[in-house]
Amino acid sequence: MLKQLLKQHDGPLTRDLVQEPGTFGLGKIPSRLKPHSTVSSICGFCATGCQLKIHLDESGNAINLSPHPGYPVNLGMACPKGWQALDPLDASDRATTPLLRDASGKLSPVAWDTALDAFVSRLKSIKETHGHESVAFLSTGQIPFEEMAFLGCLFKFGMGFLHCDANTRQCMATAVTAYKQSFGFDAPPATYADFEESDVIVLIGSNLCIAHPILWQRVMRNKRTPQIIVIDPRATETAQAATQHIAMRPKGDLPLLYALAHCIIRDERTDAQSISNTSGFEEFSEFVKSHTPQAAAEATGLSPEAIEALAATVSQPGKRVSWWWTMGVNQSYEGVRTAQAIINLCLITGNIGKPGTGPSSVTGQCNAMGSRLFSNTTSLVGGHDFADPAHREKVASALGISPDLIPSQTSLAYDQIFDAIENGKIKALWIIATNPFHSWIDRARLDRLREKLDFLVVQDMYHSTESARAADLVLPAAGWGEKDGCLINSERRIGTIKAVRKAPGIALSDFRIFRLIAARWGCGEMFSGWTDPQAVFKILRDLTVDRPCDISGIRDYAHLDAEGGIQWPFPESQISNLKSQTPSERRLFEDGKFFTPDRKARLHFATPSPIPEPTDSEYPFTLLTGRGTSSQWHTLSRTGKSKLLSLLAPPSAYVEIHPDDAAALNLKNNGTLTIRSRRGEIQATAYIAPTVQRGQIFLPMHYPEVNLLTHPSFDPHSRQPNYKACAVALWVR
Amino acid sequence: MPATLQRTQPSPVTLIDQLLAEQGSLQTPVARFAEIHDRRPDLEEHYRQLIPLSKPGSGEQYAFEVSLDRCTGCKACVSACHSLNGLDEGETWRDTGLLLGGDSAPAFQQTITSACHHCEDPGCMNGCPVGAYEKDSDTGIVRHLDDQCIGCSYCILKCPYDVPKYSKKRGIVRKCDMCHQRLAIGEAPACVQACPTEAIRIVKVRSQETEVRNLFNQQSTISNQQSAIPDSSITLPTTRYVGRAVPDSAHAADRAALVPQHAHWPLVFMLAFTQAGIGLLCGGGLHPPSQTSPIPQTPFQILLLSTAIFNLGMIAATLHLGQPLKAWRFFIGLKTSWLSREILAFSLFAPIPFVLVALPFTPDFLFKDLFSSITSYSALPLGLLAVFTSVMIYHDTHRSLWRFRRSALRFFGTVAVFSALGMLINDSSAAISYGIFAVVIMWKLFFEIFFLRHVRTIEWSPDQHSARLLIGPLRKIFIARCALALTAITASIFNPWFALPILLVAEILERQLFFQSVQAPKMPGNFGPATH
Repeated sequence: MLKQLLKQHDGPLTRDLVQEPGTFGLGKIPSRLKPHSTVSSICGFCATGCQLKIHLDESGNAINLSPHPGYPVNLGMACPKGWQALDPLDASDRATTPLLRDASGKLSPVAWDTALDAFVSRLKSIKETHGHESVAFLSTGQIPFEEMAFLGCLFKFGMGFLHCDANTRQCMATAVTAYKQSFGFDAPPATYADFEESDVIVLIGSNLCIAHPILWQRVMRNKRTPQIIVIDPRATETAQAATQHIAMRPKGDLPLLYALAHCIIRDERTDAQSISNTSGFEEFSEFVKSHTPQAAAEATGLSPEAIEALAATVSQPGKRVSWWWTMGVNQSYEGVRTAQAIINLCLITGNIGKPGTGPSSVTGQCNAMGSRLFSNTTSLVGGHDFADPAHREKVASALGISPDLIPSQTSLAYDQIFDAIENGKIKALWIIATNPFHSWIDRARLDRLREKLDFLVVQDMYHSTESARAADLVLPAAGWGEKDGCLINSERRIGTIKAVRKAPGIALSDFRIFRLIAARWGCGEMFSGWTDPQAVFKILRDLTVDRPCDISGIRDYAHLDAEGGIQWPFPESQISNLKSQTPSERRLFEDGKFFTPDRKARLHFATPSPIPEPTDSEYPFTLLTGRGTSSQWHTLSRTGKSKLLSLLAPPSAYVEIHPDDAAALNLKNNGTLTIRSRRGEIQATAYIAPTVQRGQIFLPMHYPEVNLLTHPSFDPHSRQPNYKACAVALWVR
Repeated sequence: MPATLQRTQPSPVTLIDQLLAEQGSLQTPVARFAEIHDRRPDLEEHYRQLIPLSKPGSGEQYAFEVSLDRCTGCKACVSACHSLNGLDEGETWRDTGLLLGGDSAPAFQQTITSACHHCEDPGCMNGCPVGAYEKDSDTGIVRHLDDQCIGCSYCILKCPYDVPKYSKKRGIVRKCDMCHQRLAIGEAPACVQACPTEAIRIVKVRSQETEVRNLFNQQSTISNQQSAIPDSSITLPTTRYVGRAVPDSAHAADRAALVPQHAHWPLVFMLAFTQAGIGLLCGGGLHPPSQTSPIPQTPFQILLLSTAIFNLGMIAATLHLGQPLKAWRFFIGLKTSWLSREILAFSLFAPIPFVLVALPFTPDFLFKDLFSSITSYSALPLGLLAVFTSVMIYHDTHRSLWRFRRSALRFFGTVAVFSALGMLINDSSAAISYGIFAVVIMWKLFFEIFFLRHVRTIEWSPDQHSARLLIGPLRKIFIARCALALTAITASIFNPWFALPILLVAEILERQLFFQSVQAPKMPGNFGPATH
């Protein structure tokens, strides 16, 4: 009794943390968070595509989550963004009602009816005055592809406009173009199991540990004691965890890859069988003759011996070599040729279509791949080509519309849309679930272009993004967790997301917003079958028949959930062949046949060109940009709302700088560094470490000021912006 | 067109309402029996190798083991701990930070994940006045008893790793319990379950009392002060960091961030006012007890005032507690906690001023004179004893700025300046009293200003950090503190009473700086901008 009085081992505060078996395979869980049931949902941040098990209360409302142990991608793990995926839904700056800029210039709440009236009447009047090329949309890789398809079809076929693009242009356009040109279709060949089955893993321009921690998990599960080679100018977390770091000069990747091809062909470490599946090998051999390691030394900053050694490592006979690249390659002025130089190395060494091999882009966004197949922006919906009359005919008949409604003309790319705004051709812009006023290269230009737009609509979860604040009309959107649909990850795996929370206020899912707009525009009839995401999924599924991305074998969402996601292709014929024996990990090109007319892969190449904005005496430093931490996503519009995720990242912009450069500037750790480019000037806190080379600095892209500096140059084939290298000057005030 | 629209489309208002209704409904979940059915955790296979098969034997305990080769900084452990333990928003029991390896290439950068180290000799437990910490005899897990906690936060000051965190909402601290509920039934702690690269595991470790290990896997075994890595010898942390060798040049990434510590305002007032009260009382409030005649007016005024000031300090102390009603258990910690002892010492001293105020008004009683004398004469020793326990509270945190000599100088210094003021008020005719008053203030000020010399040291040190805070973010407060102390001397020339409020404010600011400029040892943090 006295003992109890003196020591309170129990009580209300203690009971707050008492656990009990959570069931659902969860192990112990705090009693007050014990789920009533669970559902699975694919994480809505990056393209790794982890599945989360959402814990629900008795009304179906999400109260917690944990990574799904049964999913072949993440095997029960997630990075902090996945763990905190519900946090951004509770933010206080959610857009809860449509906002319309009133006469005084202030964004004021209005009813949906008013918002739709404004949307339709303004866009119709602009269309009448300036034609069907005067309105554009910029969309996203962050929403389900049923919504992407609805948007793309509504805009082009229903509303009759032409120009549209998505933020996948900032992320995957280079890989898309490279695959299309090389393989005849936008087809990433690998499956994540290849990480576990390689003998040599080459990561180029990829900070996998930070950007895709769950894929690094797959690397760590590799039991073949692989060599892990990181090619990156910066000693990233991944470079430090690798067995070898090739620290080349920024944009030295293309000369390096050609020099590797030179050595491999010279030493006849090629695979004749694999080469027979390609076309253009002789021209390529001829081309790389001059690309000797000596010739590449200057551009790469590497010794010829180091290049020779690397060439030997990546062409070891009998060894499985896989190549993985991310934004270091994609976000480049010659990214397509760089990606193809990687593809070429795989093709000539036979490292494709076999376990543990392959050239693969590790995509950025959760539904970048969905956007590529279904967004109806650059490609005609369902993996088709706008320029192909047979494709237009096929899609038109499947959708029950006139083929005349499908334009043969392609859309302007992201940067060209801005050019068209600049020269007055485009008068109205509709931005959906992306934040270009923060993320676009040389973003200060957008503030200037805003004045040229007659009407700017932003459809977003938050009214506070840089873009929403600039809008004339804000349409409040439900977010991930408040809607259903499908995402496709980097290894072509299709999985479902679920509505597990009610949207705040009168926010609606993008899907429902598109339904309202279709009805109000007067083309509701065309989309009468587009009632819910699963109905649209089935329409899109049927569209893919006979295309490389054929998924006609997928019955419905329940089928996807039961199988742990399904990788495309999954044609109906496959079901009968394999019955339920379909392996959960499948790679492409195992038969050496590609999607080109002659079924051969093309070897593309071009002479490397100089960096668009080289350093000079006035701007002597090279600015590199990239991802900062695993708890930050892009422009922080979501991850910045999670208190926990914010704790795990530096609160404001910091700049990595080499100790020698810092000493020359008399800069102290945590001191303030001023960074100026020809576009703008910013300040950041100095992080002094030899992780960057002398003459280079690194800024994480998540902070809004960073893109005031970046140089607007683009890959000519993919139109992807060259975020990674521009010239800057530094000083300490 | 709109007219056609009206005819051919269902009324748009209806569609809006329909879609809003759809958006507002969630599917009623139907849990499949197979899922609800109690089954082993899905991840059991994954973590079976990551926890010990058997309970610790004698002389052993559970400990976290972190592989620096495997940890690449994804920080999933922090999120998993937060989510699977149902912690409050922003509350984390596991933290990550960064060690940086100096200026030479190849770059050394290492994420450090840490939770409670479940120390062999836990500072939190030793410092707790009410026994709200227990070290489990079977597992060695240091558990916090949430319902026993009084929210005094002393454990936060005592822990060299910044582990216990105060919850304002709850009025208590909470910390990692190594998921003891999970471990007890063979489940892995949340962080162990969630690490994608299996970098965290639970191991059994033997007592290391004979040999103090460096916290990280460093070549040298002696902890290196300039690294800002806490000294392991204070509490004997049990976490093992293995794998990748950490160079001796490694230091915490947040070492140079100049962030002032929490001011702990109730403690600032408690310390400054109790010491001022004691000083004033002993310097000018005591009167010759043998006289039966009424006390002279001035000493009695000082007595009244010092009683008031002292008790304001006592009231302030209770404001520092999140659960003051539970503080009656303070005696539980007397064996190890200086906070318990401080409470005892102040409880002994506290009645004295009241008694002294009351005595002149009580009717005569047997041995009243003797009683008065004893009370008067015990005021000084008991007062100094109480101040001594205050000094020891801070000394016992092992923080550089709060070492015995430094805290004693400040705390007894405050007693001294107010004693000098008491004497001066009592006898403002003697020039010597002014001299003593001025010299005591200047003497105290000298040491505070002299401390700034540490700014000039080349290598980082806790003292350099404190000095940089004083001339950096705390500069204005420091200048104000010095200026007010000098003003008090000047004011005393006009009227010693004028000096009293000025001196009080000056000492409050001094005490604010004492708290805010301290370098609080902690695990390496994330890189972040300096606040100034």
